[in-house]
Amino acid sequence: MIDRIMHDYAAVAARLPEAAVTRDTRARAMHELSRLGWPRNSDEQWRYTNLRAFERLPAFAPAVLARTGGDAAGLELPPALPGFERLLYINGVRAVPAARAPTQAAVVPGALWPAEQRLGLLCDMFATDVAALQIRGSSAIEVLFVTSAAAAGAACYPRLQLALEPDSQLQLVERHLGAPDAPTLVCASVAVDLGRGAQLTHYRLQQCGLHTVFTDTLSAQLAEEASYRVRQVAIGAASARTSAQVQLAGRGAAFSWQAIAVGRGQQVHDTALKVEHRAPGTRTEEVFRGIADERARIAFSGHIHIAASAPGADARQSLRGLIEGAGAEIDLRPRLEINTDEVKAQHGATTGALDENLMFYLLARGIDRSTARALLKWAFLGDVLRAIELPQLRSAAEHGAAGQLPDIMAIGALT
Amino acid sequence: MTGDTSPAAGTAAPSPLLEIRDLHVKVGGQEVLRGISLIVRSGEVHAIMGPNGSGKSTLAHVLAGRPGYEIISGSAQFEGQDLFALAPEQRARAGLFLGFQYPVEIPGVNNAYLLKAAVNAARRERGLAELDAFEFLSVVRAKIKLMQIDESFLSRGVNEGFSGGEKKRNEILQMLVLEPKLALLDETDSGLDIDALKVVANGINTLRAAERAIVLVTHYQRMLDYVVPDYVHVLARGRIARSGDRTLALELEKRGYDWISEQAAA
Repeated sequence: MIDRIMHDYAAVAARLPEAAVTRDTRARAMHELSRLGWPRNSDEQWRYTNLRAFERLPAFAPAVLARTGGDAAGLELPPALPGFERLLYINGVRAVPAARAPTQAAVVPGALWPAEQRLGLLCDMFATDVAALQIRGSSAIEVLFVTSAAAAGAACYPRLQLALEPDSQLQLVERHLGAPDAPTLVCASVAVDLGRGAQLTHYRLQQCGLHTVFTDTLSAQLAEEASYRVRQVAIGAASARTSAQVQLAGRGAAFSWQAIAVGRGQQVHDTALKVEHRAPGTRTEEVFRGIADERARIAFSGHIHIAASAPGADARQSLRGLIEGAGAEIDLRPRLEINTDEVKAQHGATTGALDENLMFYLLARGIDRSTARALLKWAFLGDVLRAIELPQLRSAAEHGAAGQLPDIMAIGALT
Repeated sequence: MTGDTSPAAGTAAPSPLLEIRDLHVKVGGQEVLRGISLIVRSGEVHAIMGPNGSGKSTLAHVLAGRPGYEIISGSAQFEGQDLFALAPEQRARAGLFLGFQYPVEIPGVNNAYLLKAAVNAARRERGLAELDAFEFLSVVRAKIKLMQIDESFLSRGVNEGFSGGEKKRNEILQMLVLEPKLALLDETDSGLDIDALKVVANGINTLRAAERAIVLVTHYQRMLDYVVPDYVHVLARGRIARSGDRTLALELEKRGYDWISEQAAA
């Protein structure tokens, strides 16, 4: 597998744009991936990742090599979000280079991804462009990463680098869309650096088509009193792997991750989230809701590490999975690792079928069984969907999730 | 001893709305109901009383169709049809309502949606046109007011964050909107302060009518000061140990349940 990747890289390396990732960073990433090797399912970190889907991909070379921008013509894009600046990337390249780019920042070489995030190295090697944003003050930005039909059978490497200056605020929407009709890799990486007191609300919607193999690798660093809120909805792709590592480096930094994953058919959604509390008074809230219908597999691994240097930390995890299909599978792995006293920590993880008490309550009101099931599934996802504060985006997320669960569409419970 | 203290057969009594005959039910392998017989006719209010563990809540839940109960023998007819042959949702649509002792919270499903879906399910069953949003609101508004519930609750999740009293008021509101033929109210009075009890009792009394019946399951007599029953039945050890009129409830208030339990054990 590594040989195939290296072969594809050697074929295109000379044509990859220096402006997106420096040649040196690419080379370092290549060597690191070569050293680490391709992950195996026998490794606990990769146990539920659909590695075979990656292995079956026809190519790792990017669909677009020249930094000339993709063609937006003919693409069906979601309506603009009021008050948001839109950045459109097609097949990993900015579609319309901005006449002015006040938020565009210089690309800084990042640290190499750790072994459990090694798919991020692919993006370092092959990236064709980058949305590098330096935020001062208050902003609202929507970054659309669209994979077009032209990318079918190839790969796209969406790349996002964010730096928020102290006390700045950003509402960020990151959406992955597009449905090529042949196996296509979408390999995204996101790096977030929040200065002291900075606040980032990061909405992430993954709505790729069912031929897409999707992976995104995220790292975030929070300074003192910074706040990072992630609201993630994963409903697309044949196979999706999300790996995120968040470091609460400054005193009082707060992180909130609320996510849903809904899979059907033979979809696989696998998320590995690691949060490190390194400073006093840091806070984490993790909420995950997954529904696996038909033969889908959903996995969530939430590892919270509280270092000795983080007294007064507060960490909460609530992970819940709902198995709807006879051949479906859900694996939730909460893990709290605490190395100091005076912390508040709680976690809960449950997987199962719909609650019979709730079901009986609805039946006892005359609601038919299929509507009751649909309502309860909708309720199961409700607390995360309601946390999406932008009405248009919430509606898009709700319709996307309901599209995965046709019985919900039928009951008309959507807002 | 059976619970049949309704007007004797052979008089001009209306046919029974609910007729339970020698019902035996097991829960978790243990026989909890051990031969219950009871007739409830339209227009009547029955109170089922008894100490904890006597089987009174089991009776209400078995009738409503809750899973997990094993009916060993006996029957229950609702308007002449075999109640146990119907799924819980069919029983509800046929006009049987269970008011829960512990109403569940369903965040993400709002009260208005549930109520409207429930009303329209019942209307479809009766061959009536479904209510549109406007008609539904006009029906529900007056009843919300009666139950002293804030209208904003309609857009909240079912029982989400409600206090115990609010949950019980919501149960009665649902009952008022659905207008069942038979309401089984399982310890609706438990956990209510006196003001909430009056509101709930007022709601129940509003529903009293010649064409419907109410069965109150309760541990305490105090609810019966406000909703005066026609008949009182005392359950002990899974059987109706005694039936009478409301004076029986007053006697229980004075003497407790022990004497009846002792008689039942004898």
